[in-house]
Amino acid sequence: MANSLDQQRYKCAMGAMQTVQAIEGAIPILHSGPGCAQKIGGGSGSSGKFSPNIFPCTSVSEKEVVFGGAEKLATTIDNALKIIDAELFVVLTGCTSELIGDDVEEVVKRFKGAEKPVVYVNTPGFKGNNFEGHGWVLQAIFDQYLPPAGVVPKQKGLVNIFSGIPQQDPFWYGNLRELEKLIASLGFEPNTIFGYGRGLESLNKIPAAEFNIVVSPWAGVDATKFLGTKYDTPVLHYPVLPIGAFETTKFLQAVGEFTGLDPEFVTSVTDEYEREFYYFIERYSDLFLEMRILSKRFTVIADAQYALAFTKFLVNDMGMFPNTQFITDRTPVQFQPLIAEEFKKLNYDIEADVQFLTDGYDIHQIIRGEEFGGFPLIIGSSWDKKFAAELSANFVNLANPLIERLVVNSSLVGYSGGLQLIEHIYSAGLARLVL
Amino acid sequence: MAKKLRQVAIYGKGGIGKSTTTQNLTAGLAELNKNIMVVGCDPKADSTRLLLGGLHQKTVLDTVRDNRQNVTLDHLVKTGFAGIRCVESGGPEPGVGCAGRGIITSIDMLENLGAYTEDLDYVFYDVLGDVVCGGFAMPIREGKAKEIYIVASGEMMSLYAANNISRGVAKYAAKGEVRLGGIICNSRNVDRELDLLRAFAKALGTHLVYYVPRDNIVQRAEINRKTVIEYRPNSGQAAEYRALAKAIEENDQYVIPTPISQDDLEQLLMDYGMMELADEFDI
Repeated sequence: MANSLDQQRYKCAMGAMQTVQAIEGAIPILHSGPGCAQKIGGGSGSSGKFSPNIFPCTSVSEKEVVFGGAEKLATTIDNALKIIDAELFVVLTGCTSELIGDDVEEVVKRFKGAEKPVVYVNTPGFKGNNFEGHGWVLQAIFDQYLPPAGVVPKQKGLVNIFSGIPQQDPFWYGNLRELEKLIASLGFEPNTIFGYGRGLESLNKIPAAEFNIVVSPWAGVDATKFLGTKYDTPVLHYPVLPIGAFETTKFLQAVGEFTGLDPEFVTSVTDEYEREFYYFIERYSDLFLEMRILSKRFTVIADAQYALAFTKFLVNDMGMFPNTQFITDRTPVQFQPLIAEEFKKLNYDIEADVQFLTDGYDIHQIIRGEEFGGFPLIIGSSWDKKFAAELSANFVNLANPLIERLVVNSSLVGYSGGLQLIEHIYSAGLARLVL
Repeated sequence: MAKKLRQVAIYGKGGIGKSTTTQNLTAGLAELNKNIMVVGCDPKADSTRLLLGGLHQKTVLDTVRDNRQNVTLDHLVKTGFAGIRCVESGGPEPGVGCAGRGIITSIDMLENLGAYTEDLDYVFYDVLGDVVCGGFAMPIREGKAKEIYIVASGEMMSLYAANNISRGVAKYAAKGEVRLGGIICNSRNVDRELDLLRAFAKALGTHLVYYVPRDNIVQRAEINRKTVIEYRPNSGQAAEYRALAKAIEENDQYVIPTPISQDDLEQLLMDYGMMELADEFDI
């Protein structure tokens, strides 16, 4: 019997057009049936100059299926180059063109001498989801667009940073800016390619970087390692998105060690951050310690990035206890042991069980069978709202899909991100109170 | 009363002689005053060459490729030997596009244009090689062809393909009316070929419809772009094809095939094909 997937929390690989769109000046060209651009949109922050509505698309039909769609792709690229004022064109293939085996590489090579660069990436939906697609898009751009090693001179102190997936991670924008600030506070010049004021200028600076840091359990890790190999620069794969004082200090120490900074200097930076963080914790300690608005146990239903980051924060900084945690992003098998291991590295010798499950029904069934000793704290997506209400849980919706919360540029990362997360969690608890 | 249309699909390993057999068989049926349409389901579009005295120039898919408007059946259906209507599905250039989907597209188009007229007794689909994907199973899949015949010889790979094809037939038979009508042997003069094919057909739960002997006159007729029945109507081989036509016309055995395992297939070959060879090494 065929399996069905209840409550999908990701998109197909072609959803990685989000990754292209987040690079200012870049636009996807879709070699797919009509409508694939609609994967992104719907209030996730995808409007603008190059909105999905104007992504060039070959709109393959029966004729292209039977005879091949290569020529239609060639004319679509040709016309896109003429009428769209973009700086970088990224061809993404859909299921149809991949099934019939169009030679997209050959077509894109015809545009080698074009005025604007054209690259391509195979993103058929049957091959993977947008977490994987994100990495494929990045790697394709690094491979085909960026110059070979030795062309761009190295710039001391320049650090490339990669983290959450644009739009798939609702907090991608704010998180990336916060990571920039953290890295800058160690004296480095951060280089990121997504969002306002970055774009191709930042992309072009990538080969100049002295270091590469990828803050992600698995998405985009291979692409960043590719970059490290291409330019012979070191790569720090840091699997935990740092939230709150404990994890952020650990992160900055790891970056300091990786880049060879003086540990005393790093401590002086983290101490100042921590003093401010605990100033706030102290001011609200009556709420945390005496109002007993939250019980002790929690569960997270999110992608690997947030399941891990929230668990670390809630245990290490908030002193809570983890029930089973759920990772919903279809983590590739080779990354699962590394991630599961991270759930065992919690303070006070606490270990969390983690399940790699994509099906919302299965996840909810497991949670139903668990004991929380009071109202559970559930951090999940809009899919989990109704379920959480059934359990009278304190529910915080922070994971994708997120339909009833607007996130523009707020962040959950770092010391300040920890305080933001406390606001979200305690607001859910306080919402029970009636004056 | 409207005649009952028999829709027949001919499958078999590439190069086994499906097109040659189909055209000679339909020529034989035409001599029995049957109204027949042959639909070539091969991108090479060479399934009706012997009936037309040359390659069909306009395939169904050419009209799709060229965005041709106001296409009528006259563009696509050519009348060949003894009034047999010939259509070629056509398809993409080798290595691009999806020929399987092309077959689906072209059969849909033939239906929309009204090619399946009430006066027809038979429609034959001559499908290329193995059933490599869903598109090539179209004539079976959508209940177009209800009778399947597999052309095979005593060669290993031909039987392997035939067994595979019967898997496809069994799959679609489970949900529809399609049935295997039998195996047609197009002889390659392999040792004990008749016995082997009979045993093979029996193993699949079907029967050997006819054994067509090998004769070089077939080759000569092909060079002359004719079926044997047209080229040498009085030859022994023409009589064989007429007998094949009669066997098809009178066939009443339609089964859901029972494909066999690779081991069983190889055992069958050992039992029938290797006996003399084995004896030679017996010291």
